Amino acid sequence: MNKGWHWFFIGVALTLAIVLLAAIFLAYQMPELLIDWANLRYCA
Amino acid sequence: MTHRISWRTPMVILVCGCIILTLSMGARHTAGLFLQPMTQAHGWSRETFSFAIAIQNLVWGLASPFAGAFADKHGAGRTVFVAGLLYVLGLVLMSGATTPLAFDLTAGVLIGLGLSGTTFAVIMGVIGRHTTPENRSMALGIASAGGSFGQFAVLPVGQMLITSYGWQSALLLLACLLGLIAPLAYAMADGHKPSAGVGQSVLEALREAGGEKSFHYLFWGFFVCGFQTAFIMLHLPAFLVDGGLSANVGMTAVALIGLFNIFGSFFFGWRGGCGSKKNLLAVIYALRAVAILVFMLIPLSTASAWIFSAVIGVLWLGTVPLTNGLVAQIFGLRYMSMLTGIIFLGHQLGSFLGAWLGGRIYDQTGSYDIAWTVAIGLSILATILSWPIDEKTLLREERVST
Repeated sequence: MNKGWHWFFIGVALTLAIVLLAAIFLAYQMPELLIDWANLRYCA
Repeated sequence: MTHRISWRTPMVILVCGCIILTLSMGARHTAGLFLQPMTQAHGWSRETFSFAIAIQNLVWGLASPFAGAFADKHGAGRTVFVAGLLYVLGLVLMSGATTPLAFDLTAGVLIGLGLSGTTFAVIMGVIGRHTTPENRSMALGIASAGGSFGQFAVLPVGQMLITSYGWQSALLLLACLLGLIAPLAYAMADGHKPSAGVGQSVLEALREAGGEKSFHYLFWGFFVCGFQTAFIMLHLPAFLVDGGLSANVGMTAVALIGLFNIFGSFFFGWRGGCGSKKNLLAVIYALRAVAILVFMLIPLSTASAWIFSAVIGVLWLGTVPLTNGLVAQIFGLRYMSMLTGIIFLGHQLGSFLGAWLGGRIYDQTGSYDIAWTVAIGLSILATILSWPIDEKTLLREERVST
């Protein structure tokens, strides 16, 4: 694999990783999770 | 003589180890989500549920040295496989537990045993054995980041499963997910790579570690780490709400800790390969003290809560690759899993005290001020204990040469 493609795939992988992390971060704003946060306090 | 090239390359072992840590640490992190539906379904008190989780944490810590010793003697593959099955069995039986005792035995004992063989002590040991000294710290950092990612990612997944399918099905689906550990354990079947300390018996290794001050410093440093992480994760949201902030800010704070923990674990693992690990450990503990102190001194606001969470997140599990890396560096790889298992016991004892004392102090005084002060004091203590760690590899006469 030439160097251009090497960096291309690294760039794509990094972008996908950032999107995934952002999506998970946003999932923490789910109202259901917020309500159940009270539960976590007892057994995290 | 023919020389067979194994498919178990360091990269394969690292990737599989990361996935195992992601699954096991992630599933464990969802426990709290089941409190409300399970206690309502069975008419249990919250204490009944919390007691089983407390048992789980203690069993995890107490069984870790034994799981590590088993892995060192019989191979990590078997250990991870058996522990993975116990984890799955624990989740399946937990979904059908109808009495507090059955719940203690499944969610507490079985899952605790499962965690001891599928988390840091065993996985770090096999990764450590398959990486060169130059790359070891970074590899341990990547694995640590895998566990951090699991804690961060599986929580919302668990919640979605409960919301979509109900708590019983969610537990069974989590069990199916954890079932992936069994085939992944095949990649962990490392046999034994020749390493320093190969001629030692278990008792000799224990005696040697017990006689080394550095081992005790690492143990108590990790105790402090456990105290702080358990206290902050458990009580920070309540502290923020008590301070007039919304529950949403508390939840975002937890998410920020999880997110920045991934980067911190990797960063400190990487830096540990470039210089002194014990100095980095001391820096982490010192920065934790500074971060908590500043957080206490400035007026509480959404911005201060989020900045504190991000900073403490970076410092969260950076201790794991450094502590495990130091054990490998000082004592060699032969009994790395067992020795890191013992040190992890210190972490769990600290976690137990951090979680419990935080609540106890709040109940007695009506505020978390004393608990935060204790966390700062312990951080300073851990900083002082980290500086004198002797990083040099122990020289010993090998009785068996390989």
